[in-house]
Amino acid sequence: MLEVKLHDIGEGMTEGEVIQYLVKVGDSVITDQPLVEVGTDKMVAELSSPCSGRVKEISIEPGEIIQVGTTLIYLEADSDVKTEKKPLIEAKQDTKKEIVTPSEQVKKSSATIFHRVLAAPYTRKIARDNNINLEDVRATDPSGRVTEEDVYRFLQGQQTREQTVIDIQQVAVIQEISDEIPFRGIRKKIAEKMTKSLFTIPHVTHFDEINMTNLFKIRQELKLSGESVSVPAFLIKALVISLKDFPIFNAELDEENSRILLKKNYHIGIATNTESGLIVPVIHDVDKKSIKEINKDVKELTERAIAGKLQPFEMKNSTFTVSNVGPLGSTGATPIINYPETALIAFHKTKKRPIVNEQDEIVIGHIMTLSMAFDHRVADGATAVAFTNRFASLIEQPHKLIMEMI
Amino acid sequence: MVVGEITQERNLIIIGGGPGGYSAAIRGAQLGLSVTLIEQAEMGGVCLNKGCIPSKIFTHAAAKRSETVHVQNLGIGSGDDKFTVSKLLSYKKQVIDGLRTGVEALCKQNKIEVIRGKASFLGVDRIGVENGHQFDIFEFKQAIIATGSYSVMPSYVTEKGKRILLSDEIFELEEIPQHLIVKGQDTIALEVASSFAALGAKVSILTNHKASLPFDESITKELNRLFKRRKIKMYKASGFTSIIETDEGVTLTFLTDKNLEETIQASHLFVSGTRKPNFESLGISRFGIEQTDAGFVDVDKNMQTSIPSIYAIGDVTEGPMLAVKAIKQGKVAVESIVGENPEVDLTFLPIVAHTIPPIVSVGLTEQNARVLGLDVRISQFNLGGNGYATITGKKDGFIKVLSNSTNEIVEGIHMIGEGAIEMSASFVQLLEMAAKEEDIKFPLYAHPGFNEGLLEAVEGLIGQAIHAVPVKKKDLLPI
Repeated sequence: MLEVKLHDIGEGMTEGEVIQYLVKVGDSVITDQPLVEVGTDKMVAELSSPCSGRVKEISIEPGEIIQVGTTLIYLEADSDVKTEKKPLIEAKQDTKKEIVTPSEQVKKSSATIFHRVLAAPYTRKIARDNNINLEDVRATDPSGRVTEEDVYRFLQGQQTREQTVIDIQQVAVIQEISDEIPFRGIRKKIAEKMTKSLFTIPHVTHFDEINMTNLFKIRQELKLSGESVSVPAFLIKALVISLKDFPIFNAELDEENSRILLKKNYHIGIATNTESGLIVPVIHDVDKKSIKEINKDVKELTERAIAGKLQPFEMKNSTFTVSNVGPLGSTGATPIINYPETALIAFHKTKKRPIVNEQDEIVIGHIMTLSMAFDHRVADGATAVAFTNRFASLIEQPHKLIMEMI
Repeated sequence: MVVGEITQERNLIIIGGGPGGYSAAIRGAQLGLSVTLIEQAEMGGVCLNKGCIPSKIFTHAAAKRSETVHVQNLGIGSGDDKFTVSKLLSYKKQVIDGLRTGVEALCKQNKIEVIRGKASFLGVDRIGVENGHQFDIFEFKQAIIATGSYSVMPSYVTEKGKRILLSDEIFELEEIPQHLIVKGQDTIALEVASSFAALGAKVSILTNHKASLPFDESITKELNRLFKRRKIKMYKASGFTSIIETDEGVTLTFLTDKNLEETIQASHLFVSGTRKPNFESLGISRFGIEQTDAGFVDVDKNMQTSIPSIYAIGDVTEGPMLAVKAIKQGKVAVESIVGENPEVDLTFLPIVAHTIPPIVSVGLTEQNARVLGLDVRISQFNLGGNGYATITGKKDGFIKVLSNSTNEIVEGIHMIGEGAIEMSASFVQLLEMAAKEEDIKFPLYAHPGFNEGLLEAVEGLIGQAIHAVPVKKKDLLPI
């Protein structure tokens, strides 16, 4: 008898919801056949059969939330030991033709040095044992070294805070009867992230208008020649070009070590509205992609985000996030930055407006507003305006984009 | 599964008896677990039988031989540095056998059950062990995959005979190559080049024109200088045109970094090649174990895989393929199984090469500081100014320190020079403790000794090293 258990599908998940079974008791199954759909706080995943056999028992009802490690299905394997132990060695062909052995270790150390913890190993152990993230502990040493004492002080502070929360809860006895929506999963993750961002980053939002008329023309021309490219693909390309000129917005503030890390990668998060809430799939290395590739990525990632089929790595490591709310409507917003990034841009609805052209005539223009939120600790208003000006110039005169193509 | 099968119950099963696996086994026994270890070949794994230990026997012999002239200056010996490979090989066997017996004895004393055979998973709590005609099935509470890695020929070597050697073959050679080409720039390639040159071979090194050595750039510069002095020829290649191996030797044609074709003839070619994680034959992929993009077993900070009952350590997990990492991960896996709360942090993993002289690089390098735009102080103390280096005739090399110029916290320590490997203990401790410059300047240092070099390197950060040429003020400015 084999037990099919819920395992951690990534990101340290601890529980999942059984959405539906794809088999029923008595069914014959083969190896890797999907058995059950499980929803986690970020995605929907299928658990597949580890072997061929027969479904003996289903032990959890659909809709239930279960912990990692819980057995969902009991299988009776029909394969005998001889076939089970067949070694699966597949000689993988190394396809690399060039002699490339970049020094992996140098890359490693430059990556890890960012995450240096300024505390002695014993102090780190106390923090670990008490489930404290050392980055949350304020160091009394001005150079940022956290001591044992700092950890204990933090621990005490935390305990008093927890105490007050309980007191308030006891006072606020629920008097009215309300409808309840469970506050967990994606909703709870969003809440945690937004709170952290807003309480950590002093946000400033500035607005701008962009004339999209020329871009629309180009799009139309492309469409006639059979190439359909969505507006966001152009916006994202122009954005990354502007970020390269203003790297301060593709950055992360590392307050603990008193440094701002300018990211060399351009991974753009796309805030996406799904039925279960806000999800941010990430297009990696946008600077190395053509508009066409970006267009394809945006489309695919959005579709999979909506279907709840994103892989964990497709939601990681964004360096800048955009929120394309235009299709939904709206003319302005004060968006919250995707912590720990430095800035976020929301693109709003493009509307037809009368504008004055270079010949001083009033013509119809397509005007889009954008809202850019940035971290005022890292950058100042003038830089942000210069940044959006650069961005606007690329969109308003799309032929400039050609100059930046790699 | 099979009618009538007998499943034996076990507590913790460890697959693989390399340094990670046996350390995990012993730590498990110390923590009160009953431990079963499955090994298909020799205890000690690649490290003891084919890797770290055999290579260090050669680097040690080479270091000793390179001292012949100096020892003669002390009035010892006649300057006869005749070297007999067969003697070294039997010494190697003696050392390896001795160490292996030691590991086996430790396992026995810790009451670890060692089973010989080839393991494969039959389920998330079940494992089969095949040994000849015998096939045993064990049920476990937890299993640790510690099956290591295997070396892979780079794709440009399509076929090879006895004259093209990988890292697990070169230390079996029964003759010192007349002319050895070393292809690669990792630490093992550098060790092979350095020691075979000292043992009497003509050596040429061929590095990838784009890759850099895994150390601070000043160390690379110094090593190049020392290699040049020892007549080790260094080539930069951008690609191979042909590798022809005959009974007499190897002819290598390659493109230089300037895109010119060049040919070298040699008796042997060493390629450091690459290594691949060794877990496909365990059949664990079928049970949905998560893998990283690079094809390693994905583990969390406690070394637990996506299957809660199964842990993985060492070369099957991502990161540098070093015994030091495997040993640490092995202990951490077992400690977290018994409910402790350990951690692996590779930030200050020392990068070590047993060249002549040896090299250690820990933490921030100058090139990294430049890329990251960090405001750092840098100081390099040459061992030429160290008294003990003069006594022992080991004046080559230096110790280099980088510190944060605002808060004086030390960020990186690098050394090429005699004693570097042992000195590295201080380097990693200082970095892990987040030491400041004063924390190094305050203690008292044994005199005379190489250790004084560390003190002087740190004093040099503000231009106060005693045994160094005074620096002009402007040189102290941060980079």
